[in-house]
Amino acid sequence: MNKNRKLLSGPYLVWSIAFIIIPLAMIFYYGFTDETGAFTFANIAQMGTMENLKALGLALLLSLVSTIVCLILAYPLAMILSNLNVNQTSFVVLIFILPMWMNFLLRTLAWQNLLEKNGVINGILNFLHLPELQIINTPYAIVLGMVYNFLPFMVLPLYNVLIKIDKDIINAARDLGATEKQTFLKVIFPLSLPGVISGITMVFVPALTTFVISDLLGGSKILLIGNVIEQKFKQGSNWNVGSGLSLVMMIFILLSMAVTTKYDKDGNGGAF
Amino acid sequence: MRNTFRKIYLALILILLYAPIATLIVLSFNSSKTRSKWGGFTGKWYISLFQDTSIMNALYTTLIIAFVSALVATIIGTAASIGINTMQARSRTFFMTVTNIPMLNADIVTGISLMLLFIACRFTLGFSTILLAHITFNIPYVILSVMPKLKQTNKSTYEAALDLGASPVYAFMKVVFPDILPGVLSGFLLAFTMSLDDFIITHFTKGPGVDTLSTKIYSEVRKGIKPEMYALSTLLFVSVLLLMLLINMSPKDTKTAKHKVFNKAMIFGRVIPVSMILIIVSGGIFYHVESGQSGSEQVVVYNWGEYIDPDVIDIFEEETGIHVVYEEFETNEIMYPKIQSGAIAYDVVCPSDYMIQRMIENNLLAKIDFDNVPNIANIDPDYLEQSTSFDPTNEYSVPYCFGTVGILYNKTMVSDPVDSWDILWNEKYNDNILMQDSVRDAFAVALKRNGASLNSTDVSELQKAMNDLIKEKPLVQAYVIDQVRDKMIGNEAALGVIYSGEAIYTQQENPDLEYVIPKEGSNVWIDSWVIPKNAENKENAEAFINFLCRGDIALKNFEYITYSTPNKAARELIEDESIRNSSIAFPTAEDLKDCETYRFLGDDVDSYYNELWNKVKAS
Repeated sequence: MNKNRKLLSGPYLVWSIAFIIIPLAMIFYYGFTDETGAFTFANIAQMGTMENLKALGLALLLSLVSTIVCLILAYPLAMILSNLNVNQTSFVVLIFILPMWMNFLLRTLAWQNLLEKNGVINGILNFLHLPELQIINTPYAIVLGMVYNFLPFMVLPLYNVLIKIDKDIINAARDLGATEKQTFLKVIFPLSLPGVISGITMVFVPALTTFVISDLLGGSKILLIGNVIEQKFKQGSNWNVGSGLSLVMMIFILLSMAVTTKYDKDGNGGAF
Repeated sequence: MRNTFRKIYLALILILLYAPIATLIVLSFNSSKTRSKWGGFTGKWYISLFQDTSIMNALYTTLIIAFVSALVATIIGTAASIGINTMQARSRTFFMTVTNIPMLNADIVTGISLMLLFIACRFTLGFSTILLAHITFNIPYVILSVMPKLKQTNKSTYEAALDLGASPVYAFMKVVFPDILPGVLSGFLLAFTMSLDDFIITHFTKGPGVDTLSTKIYSEVRKGIKPEMYALSTLLFVSVLLLMLLINMSPKDTKTAKHKVFNKAMIFGRVIPVSMILIIVSGGIFYHVESGQSGSEQVVVYNWGEYIDPDVIDIFEEETGIHVVYEEFETNEIMYPKIQSGAIAYDVVCPSDYMIQRMIENNLLAKIDFDNVPNIANIDPDYLEQSTSFDPTNEYSVPYCFGTVGILYNKTMVSDPVDSWDILWNEKYNDNILMQDSVRDAFAVALKRNGASLNSTDVSELQKAMNDLIKEKPLVQAYVIDQVRDKMIGNEAALGVIYSGEAIYTQQENPDLEYVIPKEGSNVWIDSWVIPKNAENKENAEAFINFLCRGDIALKNFEYITYSTPNKAARELIEDESIRNSSIAFPTAEDLKDCETYRFLGDDVDSYYNELWNKVKAS
């Protein structure tokens, strides 16, 4: 029976080999060859230059910060939402998906309008005689953009997990004398771990690799590793170096994946 | 107390999420075309939206791709999740790793890798390649939505059903499926939305004539977003909002009904949205077929974004019966690899001077048969002469637009005289300077300031230019391409490096702005029409070029895009004397005496420039 069920993943296996593995192999090919097709490590070594290391470091820092901010913002939010007596899940889901029906580029451009020196927010602050907010074209604006764009990816998995937690378990914990804090730390949080992990994955990586947000809200002054790679492909049209840098960046992605898989297993161990 | 806190918290998050949306909705009613100025309330964009066939086409392409890709991804993804869930830890990890690749990889890498694959397999880039790419990146979203649900299902209930005599399929449908249904649905919804929202992957996998809303918006960034786009986004948003309210007003059953799948609420909640999507999509297919009908004669045009009056294309199609497939690019550097790879057979392209030289040197262009382009006589011989710097024999290109690079400044914010590039290094204007975000333009500023040629290949000159740019960086508010226009109009900055064609438009919107070509000289550029070697409709391409060289047509284009035209017949037709004699639109030889065109400096020097520019940007 299990064998039959396994067959269900057959189409996906074929699909992923054709459209994920093979294209990726082509990136590897480009990453390890030069223009003439000869084998080289030079593309990979490009990551060692000061500029690229700095861009990578900054990208790691900013994406880490936004992931943490997203988690801190999203967890209470998901808890509040999961406690609402809303019958239709789709309502809650839609509140967070709805903004995406406005195009991503337009939404990010709209933050320019809001944050600019003569923008909407400063207009309001001026009216209230409060000091102006000067974060446009700084890393803060980029973090804001990341949090704004990726928050739904944190909220949705958390909400999906929290709504599934049996209320009886929580009540049982309370009946047995656990405090609110204990209930949260010993019952709710461990049970929600799969959601936390999937949320972190869904926020950290797009944040690490973005170039549009840093471009639009950072005034193109702040280079993240995504910008560097994008430039290699678009402005320098040097696909080999671009591929090489992508490969190095993927090491960090793989690292984060390894960490998440490890904790995911632990989470499952507790759940079953 | 606790409830109030919760409500405040919820409200704050919603404000964060919806503030940009509100901004966009407000902009859709702004009668001024620029986003930085409120010109009064208007509803006209909502009317012109429906007359804009290119936007409507993009909308339907987007919706069809989103729907089909989400549907296919949901089917493949759900089946795969069920399979993966029964696997041993090792193969499960393998599958999840593969699943995570498109999610975790940079979109640009996924996009490029798929493009490489499609080109290697000789697929024609177009609608179907976008669809394949979208399905590929949508499947992981479905799997990641379904997997947590599957993990939470209680295995014993399924086994109990089997013990009680249910067939595996029956037990699955009755026991497991209802539990994972919310995950499947949210996976579909997520996939649909992600496809709707994707830009980067589409950008690399699309072909000519196919545009989704994202790529359309991106190509519009160059000239500023059309207000119709805000109107369309508002409409999309409002219709989804209404749909959501409709679902929630439907009769609610008591909480105990939660676990039944087919109750009334479910019918309202699921059937209505699905049928509405079906209506939209079938409408889209109908619309697509309607608008796609055309004769066999066609010409594939590849041009800068917003670089032609759309009416001109309509007139051309009407007069000649040749169908125009129109495609836009953002920079020369994006255009070049597409032509070089030969993945798409463009018939006529409009690159800039130095890029034309590079294309000629790399043997990518066909000679134009000037017997088919008699209107070349309308082009001012001065500009043909200037073109010889990149097209020495004048055989490959026909000038379309030209202009200079200079400084646009706000008279109310700058007290010093602006006549030199030096002012961009003046600390008085800290955080008030906008620089061009492109290698050659940025280096042109620094090189010219030091009295060097902007085609310099001298290492010490370039190093000095780089150091100067690094010194300037703290003073720069932002490196921009097209946003310079909106920012200058909105008084966001005092000084900006800008193309002369944009200067005329910004002055119309904000009379405080003034444009100068600094005394050290600058760049004068020409964008010309060329025909790639692999063009399939060369004669139609020549007919198109000839048409654009007609005086009245060139005038229409000039009025629409405000970039200077080398067409002397068009210039004579300009009625407004102040524009006809404007030194910004039509600089004299005296104005241009220290100006140079860019030349292609060879691949090695090119990458050296890029390397230095990266150092500036990373400093």
